[in-house]
Amino acid sequence: MSLTPNETAAILPLAIPAVAACLIPIASLDRDQSTQKWIRAAIFAIAIIALGASFWYTTRIWGSGMQPSYRYLSLDRLAQFAAIFVQISAVYAVLQLWDHLHHEGWVKGEILALLLFSVVGMMLFAATSNLVLMFLALELFSIPLYALTAIVRVRTKAFEGGVKYFLTGAVASSCFLMGIVLLYGMTGSFDLNVIAQSLAKGVLDPLALLGAALLLMGFVFKVSAAPFHQWTPDAYEAAPHPIAGFMSVATKGIAIIALIRVFGAHLVPIAEIGSRAQTAFAALAVITLIIGNLAALSQTNFKRMLAYSSISHAGYLLLGFVAGTTEAHQAILFYLCSYLLMNLGAFGLLSAFGLVGDDTQFRDMRGLGWKRPGIGVAATICFLSLAGIPPTAGFIGKYLLFKELILQGHVVLAIIAIVASLVSVAYYLKPIIAMYMEPPKEDSEPVIAPFAGATVLVSGVLIIVLGLIPGRLLDGLVKPSIIQVQGGAADAEVEVVEISLEELSPNQLKDSF
Amino acid sequence: MNHWIGNNILTFLIFAPLFWGLLLLALPNKLSLFTKYLALIGSLGIFVIAAMRLLPLEPNNEGVMFSELAPMFTLLNIPVEYHLSLDGLNLWLVLLTAFLVPISIAGAWNSVKDRSGSFFALFILLECAMLGALLARDLFLFYIFWEAMLIPMYFLIGVWGGPERKYAANKFMIFTLAGSLLWLVALLYLAVNAQSFSPGDMAQKVINMPFSAQCWLYLAFALAFAIKVPLFPLHTWLPDAHTEAPTAGSAILAGVLLKMGGYGFLRFAIPILPAAALHYAKHFAILALIAIIYGALVAMAQKDIKKLVAYSSVSHMGFVMLGIASFTVIGAQGAMMQMLSHGVSTGALFLLVGMLYDRAHTRMITDFGGVASRMPIFTFFFIVVTLSSIGLPLTNGFIGEFLVLNGTFVSGFSWGRVVAVIASSGILLGAVYMLWMVKRVFWGPENASPGSGTAHLTADLNVREIAVMTPLVVLIFWMGLHHITFTGASEPCVTRLLEDAEAPPPARALFFNTPDQTQKDTQQDTQQDTQQGAQ
Repeated sequence: MSLTPNETAAILPLAIPAVAACLIPIASLDRDQSTQKWIRAAIFAIAIIALGASFWYTTRIWGSGMQPSYRYLSLDRLAQFAAIFVQISAVYAVLQLWDHLHHEGWVKGEILALLLFSVVGMMLFAATSNLVLMFLALELFSIPLYALTAIVRVRTKAFEGGVKYFLTGAVASSCFLMGIVLLYGMTGSFDLNVIAQSLAKGVLDPLALLGAALLLMGFVFKVSAAPFHQWTPDAYEAAPHPIAGFMSVATKGIAIIALIRVFGAHLVPIAEIGSRAQTAFAALAVITLIIGNLAALSQTNFKRMLAYSSISHAGYLLLGFVAGTTEAHQAILFYLCSYLLMNLGAFGLLSAFGLVGDDTQFRDMRGLGWKRPGIGVAATICFLSLAGIPPTAGFIGKYLLFKELILQGHVVLAIIAIVASLVSVAYYLKPIIAMYMEPPKEDSEPVIAPFAGATVLVSGVLIIVLGLIPGRLLDGLVKPSIIQVQGGAADAEVEVVEISLEELSPNQLKDSF
Repeated sequence: MNHWIGNNILTFLIFAPLFWGLLLLALPNKLSLFTKYLALIGSLGIFVIAAMRLLPLEPNNEGVMFSELAPMFTLLNIPVEYHLSLDGLNLWLVLLTAFLVPISIAGAWNSVKDRSGSFFALFILLECAMLGALLARDLFLFYIFWEAMLIPMYFLIGVWGGPERKYAANKFMIFTLAGSLLWLVALLYLAVNAQSFSPGDMAQKVINMPFSAQCWLYLAFALAFAIKVPLFPLHTWLPDAHTEAPTAGSAILAGVLLKMGGYGFLRFAIPILPAAALHYAKHFAILALIAIIYGALVAMAQKDIKKLVAYSSVSHMGFVMLGIASFTVIGAQGAMMQMLSHGVSTGALFLLVGMLYDRAHTRMITDFGGVASRMPIFTFFFIVVTLSSIGLPLTNGFIGEFLVLNGTFVSGFSWGRVVAVIASSGILLGAVYMLWMVKRVFWGPENASPGSGTAHLTADLNVREIAVMTPLVVLIFWMGLHHITFTGASEPCVTRLLEDAEAPPPARALFFNTPDQTQKDTQQDTQQDTQQGAQ
């Protein structure tokens, strides 16, 4: 088998972490890993080096403007964006895991192997327009995550969370598969381009519509939007903190990016699917915003609060699909970038403060903001950004989404989203109150968490930088990703809806919904 | 360096506090003793530079004294500009802010015991956000500063406040955000229509909008600003925030933050949406009237001196809203003047109450009595400030309230005279609650019980406290005796603003462009009117 350079370039970013994921179990065969620090360090080093190399290679491809492909694997701009997104979240997770596992008192290298397999699956998921390969990738990244959720076997909650996640995830996967089968039955192809082209011709069969709906259901489950969100709080609570953070960011992000490819670029341009999908997205987004925010309000457990908050963020992201324009898709990607920083920063806080176990209450963080001033300030920035308060990246992301929503005449949706984000302020203030306004805990030992602390600090700084100068990221990374995917679907009659400004009559204030 | 500051004075005014505040925040805890000195020196330096650089500036024929304009970034097709400008409308508010920050820091010198380093650092950061909001002309920039003001204030109340501080801080944050987030929707709606965040472009676009849409947009604008003012019935966060905030926080909250609401109406809401503003003038006037009377009546019933002062703020800020709603030059001038004088006298009152609290550790009126014999200097300052707060002629409070009432009376509205007459009873009620409180606290027999407040009052004001109060008292009389220093600057701006608002649609939005000759003539006329009115 010989590969052209182009094909090698498409494979390498995925192959490097895959090889490392195979190496790690060999290294961790050594039973001394819990006693020998250098073995542990070597295992973590393998993971970091593999992710770093893959990241470096992907950025090289990005810089050269290449869009390599190998058979059904096509590493176009959007896929490269997705790869970079996943690699960065994985690096965050690995660094936080090092500290977290030491606090927990058990260090097993296997956890990293599972994580890396999941990373490979995610990169693949966003890098193909073949539905069968997409399904395989879905399983490749999901199954390790089921295992990771339940990896702390001794806890009952871990078992419960893992099984819940697995069972609901299996249902979602079968829906996804059924959707693929129905679309194949209607069009005779697994390729999205072909499917979109043949569906665009003639009258739409209800079965094709059902297929699209089932496909959407699979995605919505992975995005953890209501009403397919129930697994989220339990799974996050069960998983080790950094894994929960990785799941909340990477799984959601990759599903959103794949949604842009499958629905945004291919299925929504078909008028009959598009109008219904828009309604579905609007309904899902509103339900998700309401449920996520209201449920988060009453949480006393920090991780469950973050879980519901991540559900509500899925609602904001889905709003971008309601607007559906190129700019809206760019806004979604920008929002994802800010979400990566702020959510991994917030989850990283758990590891940085050395909180262990699955029951992490707000009161466990009492007064820690004064003891660890740098981390406290950075985490505060993360929470303010999650709440969408300027001058942070989270505000810019919300601004871009809402702006596009209003431009498309969905003023009522924008008002609902704004009210939702007002509600969210109430619960994002809780950790800040705990960190700064409660009397500190007595007799707490100093916590050593250099890597987790560093991730939180980096997040805090980058959020402010992105909040003040968002243009670089937007023009450099986000815009090229989306222009390309729209261009690729040119023959499927991409209709970029453009309402002229004068037409945007204020009557839509009343009847836009 | 000097040259650079001269050319970028507005940028300097925003970023100097930012860097100074961040520097103080980064100082290690051991040095927190120095932080307050550094904070005082820094804020005094900023005030001196501001006064030296801003006062000599002359307005050009557009009324703008100084402006800085640079493209900031373009986010998905809508450009955001780094546009700062100084004119008659914000000149004195900027100076008041720069003045009150060092005064408040010095006034709260010893009252912050724990973590004083972070306290003063946040205070300087707050100054950055306030100056930014006052100077920003681009609405995106304004929104960022407007929201950024919340964060330091939230921590000032929540960390260093009284026993109910967490509740008060959360209430403050959520109330203010509720207004500004809904306003954000209106802002984005205007921005996507105008493809710009410049108020001038928005105002041009608004002319062609149906009236119902303008009304909705105006209500969204007004909600954000009215919560900040605060206007009845959106005022409920204010007594909590004021009472729980530390002394310096209350002073700056009353002195500057509340002014942002009135300033927002004059700077953005009315010029962008003049027709809707005119349409709702009556409603806002009635709400303002309720705020004046209701605030005064509730103040009368208070047992806590600080809470009394907080409710008096509601009443006084009602005059600001009434002046704005009167849509006359005299009334709007009165609103500007009332904002400045309320900033000085209520800021001073909060500082004085703080000084009393530091000694007696209570603020209950019944715990005192006969303070005058123990603390004569304190009593002198308190009485002067009280009289100015009541609005005695020769003090600052009189000018603002008189102009507002005068403007409301002569306004062309059918309700003008009735509202003016009823509102003037607010001044009377003000005298009642303030003087009654003074009587119970300062005169009369001493409260002799061992746990009472008076028993703890062993020392009169020290040199630092006198040094803090003296400039405030000087300012009170300066504003009362020579108000033209302050009203003269805002006169042309206010006149143009209102002429544009009342002009038929094609002539609207001239506020952002060059005025013609006829407008200049009327400016002079009204200027004379105001002078006569004040005398």
